[in-house]
Formats: sequence, C-alpha cells, structure tokens
Amino acid sequence: MLFQYLINGLSIGSIYALISIGYNIVYGILELLNFAHGDVYAVGCFVTFTLIVMKQNIFLAIICGMLVGYILNTIVERFAYRPIRFSARLAPCISAVGVAYIMRNAIVKIWGPETYNFNLGIRGTQVEFGNFVFGTLQIYILIIAASFMLLISFLIKRTKLGQSIIAISQSIPTSALMGVPVNRTISMVYGIGGTLGVIGGILLCTYYQSIFIGIGFMLGTIKAWMSSVLGGIGSLKGAVIGALTLGLTESFVGGYISTSYRDAFVWGFFMIFILIKPKGLFPAQISEKV
Amino acid sequence: MINKNKKINYGLIFVVITMFIPFIAKDEYQLRVINMVLLYSIVALSINLIVGFAGQFDMGRTAFVGIGGYWSAIMMLRFHLPFIVAFISAGFFCAFVGFVLGTLCRRSTFDYLTLITIGFNIICIQIFLNWDSVTNGAMGLRLIPSPILFGFKFDTNFKLFYFAFFLLIICYIVIKRITKSKIGRAFEAIRDDPIAASYSGINVANTKVIVFSVASFFTGIAGSAMVHYSNYVSPYIATLYESIYQLQMPILGGLGSLPGSILGSAILVIAPEISRTFYEYRQMFVGFLMVAMMLWAPSGILGRDGIGEKVIGIRNLILVKKDKK
Repeated sequence: MLFQYLINGLSIGSIYALISIGYNIVYGILELLNFAHGDVYAVGCFVTFTLIVMKQNIFLAIICGMLVGYILNTIVERFAYRPIRFSARLAPCISAVGVAYIMRNAIVKIWGPETYNFNLGIRGTQVEFGNFVFGTLQIYILIIAASFMLLISFLIKRTKLGQSIIAISQSIPTSALMGVPVNRTISMVYGIGGTLGVIGGILLCTYYQSIFIGIGFMLGTIKAWMSSVLGGIGSLKGAVIGALTLGLTESFVGGYISTSYRDAFVWGFFMIFILIKPKGLFPAQISEKV
Repeated sequence: MINKNKKINYGLIFVVITMFIPFIAKDEYQLRVINMVLLYSIVALSINLIVGFAGQFDMGRTAFVGIGGYWSAIMMLRFHLPFIVAFISAGFFCAFVGFVLGTLCRRSTFDYLTLITIGFNIICIQIFLNWDSVTNGAMGLRLIPSPILFGFKFDTNFKLFYFAFFLLIICYIVIKRITKSKIGRAFEAIRDDPIAASYSGINVANTKVIVFSVASFFTGIAGSAMVHYSNYVSPYIATLYESIYQLQMPILGGLGSLPGSILGSAILVIAPEISRTFYEYRQMFVGFLMVAMMLWAPSGILGRDGIGEKVIGIRNLILVKKDKK
C-alpha cells in the first residue's frame, strides 16, 4: 500500500504543480493573490469537455481549451488587474475574487452545477509489479505533467521571454528601463499560467474521472496557493516541490491517519509549517518590496 | 460640537423609522428577510472591523459564525443552560478562539494571514461535519430553542425583529466606540502602514491579536443569534463560499464605514429575494460590482471617497445644509 500511496501522491502532486507554476510566477511578479486562477482555467476545461462530448478529436479539444484559458486570462489581466496593479494590496485581491465569481456563475449558467463523467480515453488498469500494485492512470498523469514541467522550465531558463519574466519579477521599473516590454510580458505570463492551468485541470478531471465546478476554486486555486507558499513564493522549483509535498501529504494523511479529517490534518500541518518557516522551502532571491 | 449632535440625530431618526418596519411589512416572509439583514449586518460589522479598519484580509470569518452557533446550540440542547448564558458564552468562546488564531497570525503578513484564516475555516467545517457525537454531522442540530430573555420568549418573526434590532444597535454602538478609541485608531494605523505604526509606539502584533478577539466576539454573538433565530444549525452555515459572500457585504458598503456594512448586507440579502432572475445571476452581478468598484471606487458606497461622496455627494449635501443653518 505504501507504494500505491506514493504513486497517488506523486501524480496528484504533479497535477498541483502544473496548476501552481502559472499561479506562482504571477504571485512572484505582482504579489497578487490570483483568486480567479482556478475559475478561469475551469472554463477552459469545460470547453474541452464539451468538445469531447461532441465527438471532436481529443487533441483538438485540448488545444481549444488551452487557447480559451490563454485568451481568457489575458483579457482578465487587461481589464481587471492592470489598471490597479500598483494600488494597495487589498484592491487587486478583491477584484480577483470578483472575477472568480463572474467565471463561476458563467459556468453554472452554461454547463450547470452537475458533476459530469469525464473521460479522455486514457483507461487505467491495475498493474502488479512484484509485491506492489498500482494503477497505470496515475503513471500516465505523472509522465504528462512531468514533461510539461520540463517544457516550462526550459522556457523560463533558456528563452528571452523567460529571462524577461525573471527580470520583471526582480524589479518592474528597472526592467522597463532595460527595454523589457513589461505589459506584454505580464500579459503573456498570465496567458501561460492559464494554459498550464487548463492542462492541469484536464489531468485533474482525468484523475477523478469527473468534471464539476469545484475543480476551479477548492481543488485549483487553494491548492496552487498552498503549494506556492509551501515551496516559496516566486520560484519555479519551489512551486513544483511544494506541490509534490502537498500531494504526498494528502495521500499519506488520507491513507494512514484519517480520510474524513484529511483536509483538517493537511491544513494543520500546513499552518504549523508556515509558522516555522514563513518564507517556504525555496524562497526566490528577491528582497521584500517596501 | 453642533455637527456631532446633528449626526447623532440623523442616526436616531433612522433608528426610529426602522423600528416601525414590522408594522409596515406585509407578511412573515418580508419580515424574515429583514431579520436576516439585521443579523448579517452584525457579521458584516465584525468583518469590517478586521478587514476595513485593521486591514487584515480575513477570509474565514464564517468559521466563527459556525463556532458561535454550535457552541450556544450545544450549551442549550445538551447542557440545558439558560439562553442568556449560552448566548454570551458563545461570544466569549469565539473571542478566545479568535485570540488563539490571532496569536498564530501575530507575525504573519498579508498572504500568510489570509491563508491561515482560510485553513482555519476548512478545519472548522471538517470538525462540524465529522464530530458526529457532538455536532450530529451533516444533519445538523434541530429544535434549538428561540431566544428567551427574562421570561419573555422571542418566538415569532415580529418579536425576533426587535431582538435582532436591539442586538444590532448595541453591537453598532460598541463597535463605533471601539473604533473611536485609542485602540481603534491603532487598528487604522496598522492598516495604513504597519512600519510607521510600529515607530509610533503601536505594538503591531498585539494589536492584531486584539482585533481578532474583539471581532470574533461579535461574529460569535451574531452566529449564535442566527442559530437561535432559525432554530437549526448545520455545517453549511460555515462554508468558504458563505465566507466570501459575507466578506462582500462590508466591501460593497465601504471598507472602514460602519453604516456601509449595514447597507451592504441589506443590498446583498434583499436583492436576490426580489427577483428570481437576479438570484440566478447574483454571483455574476456581485462579481462585476466588485471589479468595477475596485477599478473606480475602491472604498465602496459609503466609504471615504466612495461612490456616495463622488457621485451623489451625500456627505456634502448634509454639510452644506448644516452650514446654511
């Protein structure tokens, strides 16, 4: 069973990692609590779901969903966050909560509040490997998520866009003076975050074999936020490791301590952790902005 | 001094007019909605104390509504204590829990504090849901007695209106006095600039603990009153969605404005009841409202430089009239 919990934890953790990468980059740059992250990518997931139900090609459906996530997040950034980027901390947060509400109501009006069956065509089977028994579905999810994580870390470490993202996260005025197109880059960061969120959301739906409105807020935003804080705000490595830690903690608490009190224990551990180590495991090398 | 007297008079006129609402209301349903407005106003006031005055973005306030409600329900149903004891002790128990939570948040900055409060809310819901022997799980506790004060039973909506109304007035006056006192000014100082506040001799960490305990007291009282009002408590009064919904009330009315909280809760409670269509698009409406307000009027309707002052000029109107007299 230990092995099974480990695989489960790693695969759910890698999904959280995909969702939280986009969240954490924005968080690191603008210090914005993006409450709308989950609900925006949930719209993309529902678009993918509709296209799959309409018997379209699965890859086409996923790409459409990603596109919707990208466009929607850039629009939201342009109209709800950019005008108040430099005002007090509370204002963008409340604006983000407002956006989350708009998205959630749109989903309820278009698709309804029901839980639908979600099937990408990946069927999980039980595989016996010596003494260990594990599901193949989790392995597939782990591989897909890990490849996307490698892709995004390549994007940030090796390309010009990635370098400008790092520059902006260190100082917006300085990078503007150095000729970095600040607004366009931030808008692209949001877009990439939304795209990764859609991929993560689709994998999440595959993991739970169902799609419902809760994948946005409770399973998306909150987990992404927790793993960002756990790993360290504004660092890519931190987001991934924080998310894996969160996934493993959930899996082992659910397996060994208590299923019904799982969230309470996870949050308890989490609160104790951030009281001991408030900067997270791998804090980004940015001094606090006064 | 004259201005001050005038202000109190306006408040008194409003109070007197409101007292006749139960006679005007056509049926029980309308009265019920108005009672909910009054009870939600107390919660909104306590949220305003934390978010609007002290600037701590607390998203888990309903946890205290739940704790207060469950505490007084359990005190009355299982220990058969009189109403007044259960009611007041719910407030003090919540203040204690708020003190503990505030102590945890002592040194936490913005993001961590918000996350800790959300986590606290989720932990509370799980305890309400799963501690079957005490809270009766998802079924909730039924047949909770109505408020009884000095042998007088508040059992109809008509009588309960006055119970909720006087409770709101008392809470309002106490919170108003707190915000005008030295400690209330300290709350506003740590909201505006914690570093400058600490240089002015304010102990920022301790002030946070105080604001958490004081606001939790009022939230607990309101939660207890809500539970005794509806005679029923279930874990669903403490969900995170409910939390954000209640957070919107003071934001809509104006952060840092006490009458604004009451106005905000009136709008958000009454509007969905008026039309069914509106009820369906409630979240979208509120969402657009929040975004639009943050863009153009970050201080809400009655806040400082809010919509009220900018568009309608309520305060200017009053001031001009006073000057003429």
